[in-house]
Amino acid sequence: MDPSRDTTRDTARDTAAALRTATVARLRGAHRAGVRRATLVACALVLMLLALLVTSVLLGGVKRIPAGDILPAAFGMRTGLADYVIFRIRMPRALAALLAGALFGLAGALYQRLLRNPLATPDIVGISAGAGAGATTMLLFAPAVPFGASLAGLGGAFALVAMVLALSRRRGTMDTYRLILVGIGLSGVCTAYVNYLFTVAGQHGIAQVMRWLVGSVNDATWEGVSTLAGALAVCGLCAALLGRSLGSMALGDQLAQGLGTRVGGARIAALLVGAAAAALATSVTGPIGFVSLISGPIAVRLVGADRSIALAVPIGAVIVLGADVLAQHGPLISPVPTGVLTALLGAPYFVWLILRRRQGATA
Amino acid sequence: MKQSASPAAPKIPPTPARPRFSRATVVVVLAGLMLATVTVASVGLGARDISPLEILRIVLHPGAEGYNGDVLWTERIPRTLLGLTVGASLGASGLIMQALTMNPLAEPGVLGVEQGAAVFVVLGILFLDASSVQGYFWMALTGSAVTAVLVFLIGTRTNAGSSTIGLVLAGVAVAAVMSSLITLLVVRDEAVYAHLRFWSVGQLTGRGQFLFQVLPFALSGLVLALPFGRTLNLLSLGDETARGLGIRVERARLASAAVAVLLCAAATAAVGPVAFVGLIAAHAARMLVGADHRWSLPLSMVCGSVLLVGADTAGRLVIDHGEIQVSVMTALVGTPFFVWLARRRDLVRM
Repeated sequence: MDPSRDTTRDTARDTAAALRTATVARLRGAHRAGVRRATLVACALVLMLLALLVTSVLLGGVKRIPAGDILPAAFGMRTGLADYVIFRIRMPRALAALLAGALFGLAGALYQRLLRNPLATPDIVGISAGAGAGATTMLLFAPAVPFGASLAGLGGAFALVAMVLALSRRRGTMDTYRLILVGIGLSGVCTAYVNYLFTVAGQHGIAQVMRWLVGSVNDATWEGVSTLAGALAVCGLCAALLGRSLGSMALGDQLAQGLGTRVGGARIAALLVGAAAAALATSVTGPIGFVSLISGPIAVRLVGADRSIALAVPIGAVIVLGADVLAQHGPLISPVPTGVLTALLGAPYFVWLILRRRQGATA
Repeated sequence: MKQSASPAAPKIPPTPARPRFSRATVVVVLAGLMLATVTVASVGLGARDISPLEILRIVLHPGAEGYNGDVLWTERIPRTLLGLTVGASLGASGLIMQALTMNPLAEPGVLGVEQGAAVFVVLGILFLDASSVQGYFWMALTGSAVTAVLVFLIGTRTNAGSSTIGLVLAGVAVAAVMSSLITLLVVRDEAVYAHLRFWSVGQLTGRGQFLFQVLPFALSGLVLALPFGRTLNLLSLGDETARGLGIRVERARLASAAVAVLLCAAATAAVGPVAFVGLIAAHAARMLVGADHRWSLPLSMVCGSVLLVGADTAGRLVIDHGEIQVSVMTALVGTPFFVWLARRRDLVRM
């Protein structure tokens, strides 16, 4: 035995071990840095949400409400004017905007991740239009059914998902762009149908239908808020459970299968969860366009693809709540439906996306 | 050696024969028949059915009194003629847009050009006191031109799969902005909003009186479009070849695009945005006579008329009281067609 050779081998082994430790440490460090960054961003977003919430509730004049009454009134512990203005009108409106935005953000990010295309969001693929058509029908023809609009919206959305998937599949392959084109086509029918309902609706119904022509949180109620909160809880939980599968599916179907993900089932589940989130938000607020489109890419840019779905939720909330504050109080333009502002902001971004992105790039 | 000397000479595909005279006759007769059928149906059917014989009697004796005569002269006949004109305009406009962009999904409605026209009409109504269809027309013309340029600029620069899809996506985005702008402009006054919402759902109801106001624009557009068949044929060979054959490509493109925009503006000013008519008419025309634009262009006008008037008549009949707007009817027919086109393999490059 040559002692010097032994030393060399030892040195090599040590170097390899050191390298491995360094790599693991670096990956861990990167992971920790990512988590820290995501936490920081999430905290900033939550602060922004709180600020927007306070702004939304206080703006528009509270002169005749004593300052000490505002906070209790927000929780329904006062009566009279304070109760009416704060608890019955402004709080549900702000919370509906917040929760609906969160749901739109979740739905968009799920679809973008799943279909690997930032354009493939529930509103572009036509799912929000399907939900709107279902919900409008219910509100016009059977307004008394409890949660009828939400259920009909869900029905419409699921029917549309099924149709879009069936129609964009061809000889076993599914192309995202065909999916988008088919979705654009099918949402044409839904829009035409809602337009038709607008022309036959009576004076009372017109206000109902108008919300589905351009999304708005004007007539939000606590019932709507509870629907949205429940939807966010359930859909968020499902998305969290699906997160692991989605992460491995981002590596490609074959690799994901190798890692033990049931790709088919996970894909259907994610499609349904996204459709449900978009549909329930739409059934309360109408189609607030382009929120689902914007939220995901912003999240990706802020914290990277891995944590983007979770972060798209508060981002969507900030966008819709911010747009609603602007729609109510913005100089020159107010008051307008919230959906008008998100479309005016979102459509140029959409254009930028289609101009910028390279073919085959992922969300 | 012998094989390479005659390189697969017999395998050259036969040059596509131009439509034979007999086939042309068939097509012309068929087109005439279809037009006649929808015209009679549109004039005769509705809340009050009037038999073809009765129609003939009333048309031959214009002075004759009677309720049916009133219905016919003041409502049904102008409405039908307007439908025929607008349908023809949309059909031709769709075909020219498809030929120019080489995009089977191109069409004034799909590309958002009609929405752009609508925004300018709303602007005209709100700020320039436009109240006649002439006023609407000039606004619509400006709006169509601006939107067409915008959509084309965006659509040809996208990285989205193929230029076909890029153009459609650009149209969707522009249409979204345009309809938000309409809402932003009119939402504060509910009466105005309701009125303009009705206008921005394209329909023929009560528009018959606009016939003579819109006729000069639409007819001049249609007449201007007719000689473009040959130019479009040459352009479809590609820029190089067309240039070699003596076409000034840029000028030809611009001129035919201008005619398409003119036709779209006339149609939108008269009845509001009606999507899918141009799409279906152009494809139907090409299916009937093939790729030669000298034939398919006039036929796309006929197909557009037949489709629009047919859809309008059907919309009157499907529900007992009231009617379904023609744009809703065309969307019901057009969407499955659009989806069917979008499913074709060659549209989507993998």
